[in-house]
Amino acid sequence: MDILDHIFFGFEVAFQPLNLLFCFIGVLIGTLVGVLPGLGPVAAISLLLPATFHTPPVASIIMLSGIYYGAMYGGSTTSILVNIPGEAASVVTCFDGYQMARKGRAGPALGIAAFASFLAGTFGVVGLGFLAPPLAAMALKFGPPEYFSLMVLGLTVLTFLAGGSMLKSLMMACVGVVIGNVGLDLITAQPRFTFGLDILLDGVGLVPLVMGLFGVSEVLLNVEEKLGEREIFKAALKGLLPTFRDWKDSFWPIIRGSVLGFFLGILPGGGAVISSFVSYGVEKRVSNHPEEFGKGAIAGVAGPEAANNSATAGAFIPLLTLGLPSNAVMAILLGALMIYGMPPGPKLITSHPHLFWGTISSMYIGNAMLLILNLPLIGLWVKILKIPYPVLFPLILLFCLIGAYSLNNNPAEIGLMILFGVLGYLMKKFKYDGAPLVLAMVLGPLMDQSLRQSLLMSGGSGMIFFTRPICLIIFAAVALILFLPILPLMGRMRKRVAEVGEV
Amino acid sequence: MRNPDHPSSLFWLVAGIGIVFGSLKYGFGSLQAPGAGFITFFAGAILILLSAGLLVSSIRSQEPESGLRLLWKGLEARKVLYVLILLVIYALLLKHVGFLISTFVLLIFLFRVKANYHLLNVILMSFLVTAGSYLLFQVWLKVQLPKGILGGII
Repeated sequence: MDILDHIFFGFEVAFQPLNLLFCFIGVLIGTLVGVLPGLGPVAAISLLLPATFHTPPVASIIMLSGIYYGAMYGGSTTSILVNIPGEAASVVTCFDGYQMARKGRAGPALGIAAFASFLAGTFGVVGLGFLAPPLAAMALKFGPPEYFSLMVLGLTVLTFLAGGSMLKSLMMACVGVVIGNVGLDLITAQPRFTFGLDILLDGVGLVPLVMGLFGVSEVLLNVEEKLGEREIFKAALKGLLPTFRDWKDSFWPIIRGSVLGFFLGILPGGGAVISSFVSYGVEKRVSNHPEEFGKGAIAGVAGPEAANNSATAGAFIPLLTLGLPSNAVMAILLGALMIYGMPPGPKLITSHPHLFWGTISSMYIGNAMLLILNLPLIGLWVKILKIPYPVLFPLILLFCLIGAYSLNNNPAEIGLMILFGVLGYLMKKFKYDGAPLVLAMVLGPLMDQSLRQSLLMSGGSGMIFFTRPICLIIFAAVALILFLPILPLMGRMRKRVAEVGEV
Repeated sequence: MRNPDHPSSLFWLVAGIGIVFGSLKYGFGSLQAPGAGFITFFAGAILILLSAGLLVSSIRSQEPESGLRLLWKGLEARKVLYVLILLVIYALLLKHVGFLISTFVLLIFLFRVKANYHLLNVILMSFLVTAGSYLLFQVWLKVQLPKGILGGII
């Protein structure tokens, strides 16, 4: 079978010693940043991005992907032991995982989280291998109008799913589009919004933006917090292996979580975070004992952990087949692939098969590594958690400073990062979500190009987006998503009008 | 200015207006031949509409409890400012003074922001971290860190 050949080819690539080593480094760093609160996969990947310019592209992408799914593993450890989610996708794991730990069942909670992640990660990787090639073949028929409408859909879905106010998320998407288009215009070579600064001529760098918005801002928020004692679970960890009953209770949640997570991951917008929440909701609803949820139900750990891991695999599909990132991490990987001279898109699978199949296979190997790595190393992660924050945050800041500087050996990049750090800090204070901004910033130049090409194609008629069938369907979906939240509001307004009328 | 959405929506409203005018300056072009400011014009225009909407709703829902000051209540906001000033000074001095010295000094200040460690410990920690990061980035990852005034020595 064709696909088996490809997978074997992928394993050949992934098992090369260098790639194996980078995969290991990736998952190790990923788990580490997942464990450390305040340093997520986004910041870690952007930090290491400049360092990968000197290594072969395939090994680099394998490592960066490893950081992403490794962080999902690590995040659950802190959720269970300290009730602090290492990153957003592990918030749900706190609900029942920490309760299990308080009941002396930290071991099985950590164990089932690791196993569920492994099984779901595996499912996701297999799904990715089967689904991506046909999708890419389909995407070859897409023209600029289809791409533009897909990007609009991606941004809309993200703002819809992102937490908080949809209005604010849409605003951030607009700001992101503008930031993404700072610099020389590709067609007219005219500088846009550069304020006469040389550093902005090439556009705003993704690395200083992301490290500012997610790294520096997080540190600033923690710095102003009055430090309380972090309570770390002190009971001895023994018996990481879940019991037979635990397995019985977790079997279906893991399966449901894997499938759910994978398909939610494909959808643009915060896949891992959303899918873990959805999975938790589903498990609670189908459970025979919903009252146990929040009090240490193992299904409440297994389902979401499975979901957030298979979602990470699903998130690769739009990136590798369409060249469209579905979240901030994928956006950075997109930037990385561009820098390596392998622009992602429908042709990526055929033109760089070693990259595509090698990365997928490495994810499979990485999942196995994580399982082996995580269970015995949990003691070490707990020790790392004990590093006091006054010591930890200067280290995080230093990494950000070096990362931003080393991008172009230019201290002005540090200035840019500090600026975005302040912006991110204020955005968190005033409850604006950073994810739509980053995604829109990456999509911005692509949107600019495809929109202008579409209009050139149609001779200036916007109708081109409504006469092509795929575009029409996509824009109908966009309209539906945008008006969904308004519908209940209209219902309520009509009710109020009726009440007033009666009086 | 009670609701925090009030000032923030005003800020984005002004930003949106700036973006729209900037885009017009860069050239809107026409639908047949879109110019350099085409897409940013629309992004700015939508931003204006949305932030105006947020502004209106924030004026309507004035909760007396949610003041702007509440966002910083009980927090050590001065430390944020302090850290920011340190970072800016670092960015300004990095190229001239060099990585080793400026990082060492920055860390000495940063380690004392949230805790009162003994100065000797702080100096030791800063030294170790500076040396470690130099080895990791300059020696191993081959990042070209600025040498500054130590240029002749290392």
